[in-house]
Amino acid sequence: MRLQLSGYAAALAGLYIWSHAVAPAVADDRFDFTTTWYQERRRGQKGLTIIHPQLDFGIDGDTVTFGLGYAADIVTGATAAVYSVDATTAATEFDDVRHQGKLLFGFRGSRAVLTFNGGIANERDYLSLSAGATAAIDLPGKNTNLSLSYTHSFDEVCDRDNSEVISTLERRALVGDDPCEKKSGVFGRDTPGMTVWHELSIDTFQATLTQNLSPTLVGQISLFGQVLRGFQANPYRRVRVLGNEPQEVLPEVRGRAAVSLRVNKYLPSLRGAMHGSLRGYSDTWGVNSGTAELAYSQYAGRALLFNFRARIHQQSEAEFFKDAFFYEVEGPARAFFTGDRELAPIRNILAGAKLSYIAAGEDGENVLGLFDEIMVNIKGDLLFLNELPANSLSENRDGIDAQFLTSDQLLDAFVLQFGILAAY
Amino acid sequence: MDWRSFSKLCAFVVAVGAFAPACGKNAVRASEKEFLADRIMRFDSNGQETAADEHVISNREGAAGGKGTGGGGCGCN
Repeated sequence: MRLQLSGYAAALAGLYIWSHAVAPAVADDRFDFTTTWYQERRRGQKGLTIIHPQLDFGIDGDTVTFGLGYAADIVTGATAAVYSVDATTAATEFDDVRHQGKLLFGFRGSRAVLTFNGGIANERDYLSLSAGATAAIDLPGKNTNLSLSYTHSFDEVCDRDNSEVISTLERRALVGDDPCEKKSGVFGRDTPGMTVWHELSIDTFQATLTQNLSPTLVGQISLFGQVLRGFQANPYRRVRVLGNEPQEVLPEVRGRAAVSLRVNKYLPSLRGAMHGSLRGYSDTWGVNSGTAELAYSQYAGRALLFNFRARIHQQSEAEFFKDAFFYEVEGPARAFFTGDRELAPIRNILAGAKLSYIAAGEDGENVLGLFDEIMVNIKGDLLFLNELPANSLSENRDGIDAQFLTSDQLLDAFVLQFGILAAY
Repeated sequence: MDWRSFSKLCAFVVAVGAFAPACGKNAVRASEKEFLADRIMRFDSNGQETAADEHVISNREGAAGGKGTGGGGCGCN
């Protein structure tokens, strides 16, 4: 079952995974391991569970950096097979594993870093190859850092062979038993009459300016752009439309842009720091959003670090998204219909806390005789979800309470994370 | 926000980006960067945690991406 993880998530990972490696700061060889447990509740069903281990290894020389990484997603749970006014009755269970490998190679100067990264991801019905580069430079005075990143992903999505279908309302969805054959494990191979692989091309660009504003204040402004071309629907998802239950249909091109502003303020008298961020987003499918986050970090003694954060996100629906009732009685929005909750109007709220234990070598002594520093992190996040109506509630005879599996629960999900970061 | 408004916002951001370096060259002297060098002043100081956060968020929200880039501006290596 497609995890809905790949696509732009992989492209984003290309920007973020090595984010600590591209900034021209402390040079250290590193070994990092983090495991994340994501648990999402489901209305009247078994919840969705994702275990996400990450393992990264980096060598940071005076002029050259090298990194290797592995991550996986182990997924079990329920998913809605048909988007309708009652998604619960058509829910099915699934499980899958996604593997992802990463490679980084870079050059470091006294004020600049240039890195090249590549990635590969493999799951039953989704394949991804990505390549990218990041250049970062400290401008004269070393109070300003400018970073430019670009990543291209060559993805393939397995789908039911619908080549002989005339109307989109006749499109058949992929099912778990359909073969999704591969060549060399990284390229899709069609099975005529049964399954085909569609291409999805993703270009991602980001420019970031980080500026020291005072001895205790640093700010950052960032521009993000992404263009996706190709098959972007979930091949398993069906939508009840005018009495039919065809596979969902989405536009093949999506342009996305975001701008964000972040600040960190150190509070010397408290040995803590405040963190704030604002982000605006807009895309060509009509999804617009605003996000605000506030966090606080506090040292306790020499070895403990606490962090607390709160985040709120609200987005409008895609212009072709309808509440399930209206697809059922009115039909598609232009040529499109979808049951993707990510394209619905929603409000997400996150509240979380993290405790870090930091063991640093002193007076030439290493930690455990080997490491310059070891950091152990334990983190927990609570995620609350408000599903908002996309169409008139007064005209919606069946309402929106049951159109998604998660509809009746405010506390929608939680995240627990454990990590060990070692520098040597 | 429509594309026209967003384009204006992007143009403003680019303009700020173009002028900020000149303004900030002498904002903080090297001897004043003790606090800026602290781990809690670096954006996304834990790359794995940041990647996992974005992984979760990008699968819950259709408006993901563009959070920013790791590191700080301390230039104190």
